[in-house]
Amino acid sequence: MNKLLVIIGREYSSRVKTKFFLISTILMPLFIAMTGVLPGLLFSMKTGGATRLAVYDETGKLYEPVRQSLTAGQGRDGRGGAKAGGVPMRGPAGADRDEQMREMGKALGARYEVEGVQADGRARAEILEALNNRVRKDEIDGYVVLPSDIFESNRAEYYSSNTGDFITSEQIESGVSRGVTEQRMRDANIDGERVRELSKRVEVEAQKVREGGVERDTGGSFGLAMGIGIFIYAALLLYGQVILQSVVEEKTTRISEVLFSSVNSFQLMLGKLIGVSLVGLTQIAIWGTFLGVFAAYGAAMLAASGVDFALPAVPVSFFIYAALFFVVGFLMYATIFVLVGAMVTSEKEAGQMAMPVIFMSVISVYLIFPVIRSPNSSFAFWISIAPFFSPVTMLVRIVTETPPFWQIALSLAVGVATTLGLTWVAARVYRTGMLMYGKSATIPEMLRWVRRA
Amino acid sequence: MSDTSTPALRLENVSKSFDEFAAVSGLSLTVRPGRVYGLLGPNGAGKTTTIRMIVNIIAPDSGKIELFGRPMGEDLMDKIGYLPEERGLYKKMRVGDQLRYFARLKGMTTRAADAAADRWLSRLKLSEWKLKKTDELSKGMQQKVQFVATVMHDPDLLILDEVFSGLDPVNRELMIEVLQEIKDEGRTIIFSTHQMEQAERLCDDICLINKSRKILEGSLREVKQGFGRRAIALRAEGVDGVLDDAALVAGVKPYGDFQEVLLAEGADAQELLRRLVAKGARVSRFESVEPSLHDIFIRQVGEAE
Repeated sequence: MNKLLVIIGREYSSRVKTKFFLISTILMPLFIAMTGVLPGLLFSMKTGGATRLAVYDETGKLYEPVRQSLTAGQGRDGRGGAKAGGVPMRGPAGADRDEQMREMGKALGARYEVEGVQADGRARAEILEALNNRVRKDEIDGYVVLPSDIFESNRAEYYSSNTGDFITSEQIESGVSRGVTEQRMRDANIDGERVRELSKRVEVEAQKVREGGVERDTGGSFGLAMGIGIFIYAALLLYGQVILQSVVEEKTTRISEVLFSSVNSFQLMLGKLIGVSLVGLTQIAIWGTFLGVFAAYGAAMLAASGVDFALPAVPVSFFIYAALFFVVGFLMYATIFVLVGAMVTSEKEAGQMAMPVIFMSVISVYLIFPVIRSPNSSFAFWISIAPFFSPVTMLVRIVTETPPFWQIALSLAVGVATTLGLTWVAARVYRTGMLMYGKSATIPEMLRWVRRA
Repeated sequence: MSDTSTPALRLENVSKSFDEFAAVSGLSLTVRPGRVYGLLGPNGAGKTTTIRMIVNIIAPDSGKIELFGRPMGEDLMDKIGYLPEERGLYKKMRVGDQLRYFARLKGMTTRAADAAADRWLSRLKLSEWKLKKTDELSKGMQQKVQFVATVMHDPDLLILDEVFSGLDPVNRELMIEVLQEIKDEGRTIIFSTHQMEQAERLCDDICLINKSRKILEGSLREVKQGFGRRAIALRAEGVDGVLDDAALVAGVKPYGDFQEVLLAEGADAQELLRRLVAKGARVSRFESVEPSLHDIFIRQVGEAE
């Protein structure tokens, strides 16, 4: 027992003291934050000033409505460009598609400077050529042609040096549509304002029914389920590799032979599993704290900026379940990695042998989607009981729609039983495998070791 | 510790096979306390398997292993110090931390482990390397660190597999000195090698195994005497004809400035000397020599081929 503690101590302290631990502890949350926030941020960034747009209106009555709909909202609230950091969130109540576009445009900081083009008796081709030249000289960013038959054909043209900027294209399209629609209404003597008012969208607010009552869900559950699934997956993968590496090191450097003459192989294996797991838990506790603070801060920020977003209320029991499933899942995968490490003779082979295991954990991440969509289906039930997927899938079920307690208990029991079984097998393979040099063991060979040991 | 009545180690009819391959068959041997015991044999003879069974890394298929009169088990592992042929140290760990770890796995307290590490590092002239990581050390130094890890918990039985490999002549002498000290303290050393010169220099007793079986065992003296081969180191001029007599001489091996003459079965060395003198040969060296372990090894193992 005392020796087990010595082993755990070394496995733990030799890792926690490394630069790798320090760096990964700090970088991982940054990395998560970056992959989560940065693309949205970069994507929504339109550098430079307003988009300079010329409108050539052949109908003679569309210029004004189109200009208005493109520039609407700009300056009205005075924060068109200033809110560049705001990722397009679900807008406040009553947003139809066009309005949504406009909201998004505001959030993306898109602004337009619109000017009309006078025909002055010139031919169409001549006008277009002049506009093309202006685009080439960078006097304008693009121009829109509203042909005379636009009310019948429903077609307009947009010319620009950069048609790849699909956000701008979309905005122009919706701006033009809106302008045309309004003009049509006016032509038909319909009050546009009134129509807009009457066709306001109805928002369906998701309310989650829980044991204790009802609460609003603004999409946080999904994010939380996804986040936890991916978090567990990343931790399994990262620490699985750490264990694999450390087993292979002891095997290739023949340290295991020295160690085996001091302690029995089972103690050694267990010490390694527990030691490395504790390193993992330490790191995850640090990350968890980061994440919790980050989430709370982020939610507060969003709330302060007027976006309707509430952190899903998570009962304390969830954290207990999360810890339990995490530990079980972690040990389950770690044991497999020990098994793999004892069978191979080099890091390279270890990588190959570990592929199926990694593949399995990737599948469990993909399984999150069907489970979130129908957490009570029999598919979700079985997949959340199955040992190698349950740490991720059962947790997702608990977050989305907590299953009856017996299902959680069953899933946990199956996980624990599998882990114990694997430990039993791994101990046998470990003792023989760690002393075999020269070539990697095959699966039949491994099974023979298990039978014989 | 050196109770002479109970053997330090006793193997009785121990066998071990891997699948179809018999690594050790029916091996029995007795190691007396306070002796240096040579476990000799060619590569693949079963030495490593035998040692692994002694140190409780693998279990024998059949037979008994007793250490200091008690059946070998986990409780006795701390009494053994084992230096495997293939060295193993954590590359990224400091020498001092590493030694402390190995010693604590042998049941020492941290304090005792640190004290022992300091003492042994200084004895092996490694003190200034204590804070270095293993991969900064030369192969010979790593070898000495590994040796310290083997002896620092004061084991009653020391099992050393090819302890001199990787050591330069100076360190080799240092190691021999240290081993002598350990022996003088009454500890038992099992010394496994296929280098017969070293075994000859260090061992009190030897056991030769080949192809999983014991070929011979006994004190070095007994083995040499019992080995029915008498040889004469001869340096002489004008010996023509005398050495060709098959009734007298079994063979002649040239060595630098002398010849080794193997006497034929039943022949008398005195008769050979008389014949040489009678022939008028000038004899400047005529010395009865024991067969070297090397010769015994070659002959025994070679015969089995």
